Amino acid sequence: MRDNDIDDVLKRAAGASPDVDPALLERISQSIAPTLRPVRPMAPMRLLVAALVLICAGMALAAAATLGMHGIQKMNAVETSAIFPLLAVLLAISAAVSAGEMVPGSRRLLAPPMLLAVLCAAMAAVFALLFQDYRSERFVAQGIPCLITGLALAAPVSMVCWFVLRRGFAVDRAAAGIARGALAGLAGLAVLELHCPNFELAHVVVWHIAVPLLSGLAGGVLFGISRRGR
Amino acid sequence: MASAAPSLESLMGGYQEGDFAAAAALVNRLSPQLHRFFLAQLASREFADDLLQETWMRIHEARHTYRPGEPLTPWIYAIARHVRVDHYRKIKRRAVREQPLEDDHEISQPGARGPDTGPDLQTVLATLPESQREVITLLKVTGLSLEEVARATSSSVGAVKQKAHRAYDRLRKLWGGTDAGKGAES
Repeated sequence: MRDNDIDDVLKRAAGASPDVDPALLERISQSIAPTLRPVRPMAPMRLLVAALVLICAGMALAAAATLGMHGIQKMNAVETSAIFPLLAVLLAISAAVSAGEMVPGSRRLLAPPMLLAVLCAAMAAVFALLFQDYRSERFVAQGIPCLITGLALAAPVSMVCWFVLRRGFAVDRAAAGIARGALAGLAGLAVLELHCPNFELAHVVVWHIAVPLLSGLAGGVLFGISRRGR
Repeated sequence: MASAAPSLESLMGGYQEGDFAAAAALVNRLSPQLHRFFLAQLASREFADDLLQETWMRIHEARHTYRPGEPLTPWIYAIARHVRVDHYRKIKRRAVREQPLEDDHEISQPGARGPDTGPDLQTVLATLPESQREVITLLKVTGLSLEEVARATSSSVGAVKQKAHRAYDRLRKLWGGTDAGKGAES
């Protein structure tokens, strides 16, 4: 059997499907009538993405300015010009994925779990190339405060992002949660890069990258669970 | 002289503006296609009716997320396929709690099969894995383009092509043919 024959079978079979009961169509139309009122379409994607990027960057800068910009002051030009542009690109991609997940039928740049993996791998690769301090003094004692700082910023950023995207409709709530958590976690990571002067490779790879990773996973779990409440 | 029927996108625009006639026209125009989509996914007629109603409820709830100028069908089918997935999960959860799911509970009865008409749609599609069945249904039964299917299923055009090719390979093997072609992409 050739592909054309398969096409014919599918077309014939689809054409032979039973008609929809007109009473059912009438019932559907009547069921939406009572709540049919004009609605304002969601903002264009570019606007949503720009708003998300500005919010994340603004909140990260404000938090780092409050805590002190010790990290960026200690960085050399190569480190600064590699880390922050990469963060900006990842922020833009994460914002686009987050906004896309809230509009059904959007073109998907990356699946949110893949976004999380790419984001962590890209940052780990850049850190591994730039930081050659392989010591790990007081690994946990120095790491926990960084993790808490990053996540403490990710939580409010996530709330503000939720507010921006509140009119969206996530068909896959867990995936939307992962995307939004990763975006908020990136803002937390940006704060750590601006603030934390500890450039030990193990510290930045484990504790700094844990922020977007945990934030993304938490977003997926929390937003996924919230489906049951609908 | 008959005027051309308004496009689905313009009807959706009317629906967003609260025009009942546009909403009803959209329901009438899209429902047969959506109903076929659910039937082809092995839902019985009764379940297809339920899924159709549930889909329109969700479309109504999410109608503000459709952006004018964008193609409508990927938006509609992105919602429809998740209604089906949610329904399938519920069935599975219920089956685990109660008893193994009987095949004839969910799968509709095959339609009439004449001597020269070949296998019917549900019998053909039942042989495919779920993801391939969905892609073939969207491409061949509902008539969406590769790009529209990619958007509706949140995947890439390449992934859709690959699934369609695998589905056609499988169907060819099942039906004993050996010819290859490009029908899956057409």
